[in-house]
Amino acid sequence: MLIENMMMAFSAIRANKMRSILTMLGIVIGIGSVISIVSIGDTMRNLFADLYKDIGVTQGYCQVKSWVVDDWRQSDMFTLDEMERVKEVFGDEIAYIDSSASAAGDAVFGRTKVKFSFSGIDYNFQNVQPVNLVYGRYLNQGDILGRRQNAVMDVKSAEKLFGTENAVGKTFRTTIYGDVQDYTVVGVYRKDISPFQALMMGDSQDSGEAYIPYTILTWPNDYFSELHIYASEDVDLNDFYTRFTDYIAKLKDRTPDQIYIYTAVEEMGSIDSMMGGLSLAVGGIAAISLIVGGIGIMNIMLVSVTERTREIGIRKALGARTRDVMIQFLTESAILSAMGGILGILIGTGLVGLGGLALGVPVVVKPAVVLLAVGFSAMVGIFFGLYPASKAAKSDPIDALRYE
Amino acid sequence: MKDRNPITDKIVSLKRQLIGRKGELPAYMTQNISQDLIRLENLVKIYDTGVIKVLGLKKINLTIKRGEFVAIMGQSGSGKSTLMNILGCLDRPTMGHYYLDGIDTAELTSNQLSEVRNRKIGFVFQSFNLIPRTSALKNVELPMTYAHKLSKWERQERALALLERVGLGARYEHMPNEMSGGQRQRVAIARALANEPPLILADEPTGNLDTASSIEIMELFSRLHQDGATVVVVTHEEDIAAFTNRIIRFRDGEIISDVRKGEETNAD
Repeated sequence: MLIENMMMAFSAIRANKMRSILTMLGIVIGIGSVISIVSIGDTMRNLFADLYKDIGVTQGYCQVKSWVVDDWRQSDMFTLDEMERVKEVFGDEIAYIDSSASAAGDAVFGRTKVKFSFSGIDYNFQNVQPVNLVYGRYLNQGDILGRRQNAVMDVKSAEKLFGTENAVGKTFRTTIYGDVQDYTVVGVYRKDISPFQALMMGDSQDSGEAYIPYTILTWPNDYFSELHIYASEDVDLNDFYTRFTDYIAKLKDRTPDQIYIYTAVEEMGSIDSMMGGLSLAVGGIAAISLIVGGIGIMNIMLVSVTERTREIGIRKALGARTRDVMIQFLTESAILSAMGGILGILIGTGLVGLGGLALGVPVVVKPAVVLLAVGFSAMVGIFFGLYPASKAAKSDPIDALRYE
Repeated sequence: MKDRNPITDKIVSLKRQLIGRKGELPAYMTQNISQDLIRLENLVKIYDTGVIKVLGLKKINLTIKRGEFVAIMGQSGSGKSTLMNILGCLDRPTMGHYYLDGIDTAELTSNQLSEVRNRKIGFVFQSFNLIPRTSALKNVELPMTYAHKLSKWERQERALALLERVGLGARYEHMPNEMSGGQRQRVAIARALANEPPLILADEPTGNLDTASSIEIMELFSRLHQDGATVVVVTHEEDIAAFTNRIIRFRDGEIISDVRKGEETNAD
């Protein structure tokens, strides 16, 4: 009987092709926009998750809140000895630690002058931020301990400053903290980043980046205000950073709320929930168009019921019960709406897919969202079909048969 | 009034639904062994238009036995259409009783009336009333579909056999608009026979047909009658009524004459 009803529904839909298509259009647009908006949201969340995975979700920055405490003192700064102590206390839980020092300055090579930003790193930074070294070597322990003015940079920066990717052995001059220094490039690496990542990290065209030993940047007094840490992959980040904050507070004779701790995982969580909320809100607005589409279906079903009054009369005369007529028209509106839903999904995912292809971004379309959309559109069809169907089912066979 | 347990009532009605779904007769359609297929007892129909009340039928008493071929005649407004609606279980009497195959239709709900129409009555209408854009085969299958009795294949097989019986076996795939009036009416007759109903009820079956087709259709009814069917034809044409064995004339909601062709009526 269900198949029978579906066949009847399809033949009725086919009988009024143009009208059916126009009616479906409301649902097509509704489902299409919900699917594309939710998929764009999911794609963005995925991209951010990837981004954070790339820059390291386990990392965090820690310092005394100098802007909160009124009795700021010299001991609120960190020393290299303290850093060593932190390393000893937390052992394997800390994958990497440095002084979070960076500097900016013009790098000069011959006549070329390029704005550069320098990050001070320890030799094992590549354990937490793997790079693909193409020329030379990475900074080693000797560079760090000897405060050697050696630098590692990416191929693009090398290209900008030296006009060649293989810049190993070349020297450039720059001014850091008012001190003119010459640096020798010991290694050049290549790092593939997605267009989205480049966009988010502000990959500017006219500046370069280089890694130098962090010990140079803490020179001459070896005091620094902030610790930069990467926790190990296997630690519970929340627990770790709580204990870490407590430890630093004790070390600095401060209360834990006077310690500033900034973690990537926390930021990622807040961005993720913000994106989730945003796509839900916009998706909700798009869902309103589904209601409009549903009203369109109700309208056309009412017209259809009136047009087919006589057919309904015949069916009732031949023994159709109220339920049979009801189910027939509900099936029709549900199919009409579900067809619109399926078309909407195709169009929505198609558009999102094309956009992703154009931007070179992997698109996320969750099957659950698709299933939900089809189910929801069929529900819309049934809900808005109820009134026309009951109107059809309740009609009196005598009146219906007399209807011209 | 008997004291009834609502729970038992519920179970009984559920049982009826289930049995109905399997295609067996609901309990109220008890098998009737009486020779009277139709029995009208003091049947009154009043139309209440809200402003005035119109007396459609005035205390009709009428019995039609199984196997009869009856014409109901009368001018428009004579009450024959009202009678037709009541005989067809499309309408209920205001007063009195209508027993169809032993079932008192006055007590049935509209869904039960649908079931009675489905099982007990085969309709043939003046304007054919085939479902548009639906093949002859599907049209004939329709009453069987609502009876939930046969499988899809059994339905198709039976529908095809019925179409062959009315001489349209080759046209089972045709849509109503691809057939002549006479052909459409024959499809309608095949459809009326679908559930082997005890009563064939035809309302002006030749009203939209030319003479040749009319004769063809009436000969088909005669054949059905000879095969044992009870056929009631409502008409206002004397030469159509002449095909039947009993003519009941109506005027102003009353029977004014009831004439049998005695020697041809087989009371057995």
